[in-house]
Amino acid sequence: MWNGGCLSEIPIINDVLTEVQRVWDTQLLSLRTLEHLYMFTIALFVSILIGIAVGVLIYRSPKLADPVLNGLNVVETIPDVALLVLLLPIFGIGAGPTVAASILYSILPITRNTYTGLANVPREYVEIAEALGLNPGEVLMRVRFPLALPLIAGGIRIAVVFTMGVVTLGGLIAAGGLGAALQNGIQLYDMGTILVTGAWVGLLAVILDGGAGVIENRLKVRYGTWS
Amino acid sequence: MKFKKLFNRIESIKLESVTKSYGDRFAVRDLDLEVRGGELMILIGRSGSGKTTTLRMINRLIEPDSGRVSINGANVEDFDPVRLRRSIGYVIQNIGLLPHLNVSGNIGLILKLEGWDQAKIRERVSELLNFVSLPPKSFMDRYPHQLSGGQQQRIGLARALAMDPPLLLMDEPFGALDPLLRTQLQDEFCKIKKELGKTIVFVTHDINEAFKLGDRVAIMDNASLVQVGTPEELIFEPSNELVSEIVDSKRKYRHMEALKVRDMMQSLDSGYFLEGNMPAEIALRKMVDAGLEVAFVFKESGTVGKIPLNEVLKAGNTGKSLNDISKSLLVFPADASLFEALTQLKEEGESMALVLGGEMPVGLLFSDRVLQGLV
Ligand SMILES: Nc1ncnc2c1ncn2[C@@H]1O[C@H](COP(=O)(O)OP(=O)(O)OP(=O)(O)O)[C@@H](O)[C@H]1O
Ligand SMILES: [Mg+2]
Repeated sequence: MWNGGCLSEIPIINDVLTEVQRVWDTQLLSLRTLEHLYMFTIALFVSILIGIAVGVLIYRSPKLADPVLNGLNVVETIPDVALLVLLLPIFGIGAGPTVAASILYSILPITRNTYTGLANVPREYVEIAEALGLNPGEVLMRVRFPLALPLIAGGIRIAVVFTMGVVTLGGLIAAGGLGAALQNGIQLYDMGTILVTGAWVGLLAVILDGGAGVIENRLKVRYGTWS
Repeated sequence: MKFKKLFNRIESIKLESVTKSYGDRFAVRDLDLEVRGGELMILIGRSGSGKTTTLRMINRLIEPDSGRVSINGANVEDFDPVRLRRSIGYVIQNIGLLPHLNVSGNIGLILKLEGWDQAKIRERVSELLNFVSLPPKSFMDRYPHQLSGGQQQRIGLARALAMDPPLLLMDEPFGALDPLLRTQLQDEFCKIKKELGKTIVFVTHDINEAFKLGDRVAIMDNASLVQVGTPEELIFEPSNELVSEIVDSKRKYRHMEALKVRDMMQSLDSGYFLEGNMPAEIALRKMVDAGLEVAFVFKESGTVGKIPLNEVLKAGNTGKSLNDISKSLLVFPADASLFEALTQLKEEGESMALVLGGEMPVGLLFSDRVLQGLV
């Protein structure tokens, strides 16, 4: 029957599995994956914290909104490789500049969506809250923020994709992670390593983006019924 | 609890030459209105006449350009707006539940911010849901979009009552409902109104609703107050054409001319009659046992005397008999014109009369209930 044993009896699949096994072992992909996810998680977590904080800040001081968003837009237009290189003098090589670059890229989508989400909560809901006797801080935390959550989650989802990309690129500057394995493959001109690692990075990205999408939809159902 | 209510009782709410304009248009212009403690004041008028603006100046959602709004004599400007609003229940035009909170989240929002613990909030929410006739078990966890319009409206009322405020502001609470549901909620509200014992300012543009629920009705037009009065006053003494048009007094008036006293009387049984020589203290016991607010005696002159409960109380053990304390009473034959009877009641400053069928007393006529019966 179609179980694992049978699969390996088909010659091509057998070859592929052997190659995957080889690359996985020689390139230490388990370890690389852990490194990769470690950098990803830290970068994303910090991006979310900073992104939301800055979004709330520019919502509360609208005068700052334009300069801050324009500044972040400029950062966004710097090509990622260039940004990594620019950060080298500050952070040296390795995971430091990689995580920093991911964060710099990811702040914009999160900040922009947080700001837009908070500012565009329908006036009527804010009026309800005010009529009940919520103070401005409570209106922000209990009404604007929850109603902006679906949009904020959309920003985070974009950040997930950015972060995945930059962390992979970090292989160029000795950050470790799956980018390092790809880098090895390229230097050795080892097609097997390049393809297997590339496919694995792609699959991880799709899974993480899918997970973020599921969360975003949950939040839409939970908090977005008014839109 | 974080704060004490600003007031536990409403003595009066006063708006004195209050004006609010947007650009060069007046939303409310030089408005004077006093709402007495415990009454239900209706604000009625066409769309855009300034009702919502007036209401919102009471809890400082809108600040007047000039004039003064005071509650129990204290200028509302001297209160912190957040504390003021938490001391006043507000039912919002077009339902107004927060979409991301479920029923208990909506009702309990302020309680939570006031630092009540979970168990206490749940208990209070259940109590309020029962009060608005929604079984707590099946409604607590629903979201607004899972509720019908009528259910949402009840939740809106329950939420406004959460802090047990002595004052309720209601902005067209039944406006968005279909006529049948509307009537049903009005009937329910009529019943709970007494139970609530609150001062209520209620906006509507439905004159039937106004007469059904209101103790007094304030008619607004074009940012100004046109007339304030009881439903009777507005029907019988409209101050201008607009008022008679709004209260539709011509039609009601004609309608009333065709009616006889018997059409609108409350029937009466012999339990209301006591012996004229009965001592007051015995009468008191009988009346209290029978739950009577008023009793009657046949007098030797052949007329009927009225014995209000408070007179019996006052007489106490003085040994007075009912004949001594009985009051005179207007009497109408059952086939008298209702309109004439009401006019006479009004002239005499009485609210009640006895109705005779031939020689026999058959019913009571209460002026306020007649109007409610008409609308
Ligand atoms: N924020 C605002 N900006 C400009 N004009 C306003 C504002 N609020 C109210 N108005 C105007 O003030 C007038 C009175 O408005 P208000 O909401 O008090 O009317 P209303 O009697 O409650 O009407 P409705 O029955 O339609 O609710 C209207 O002409 C309205 O257009
Ligand atoms: Mg209005």
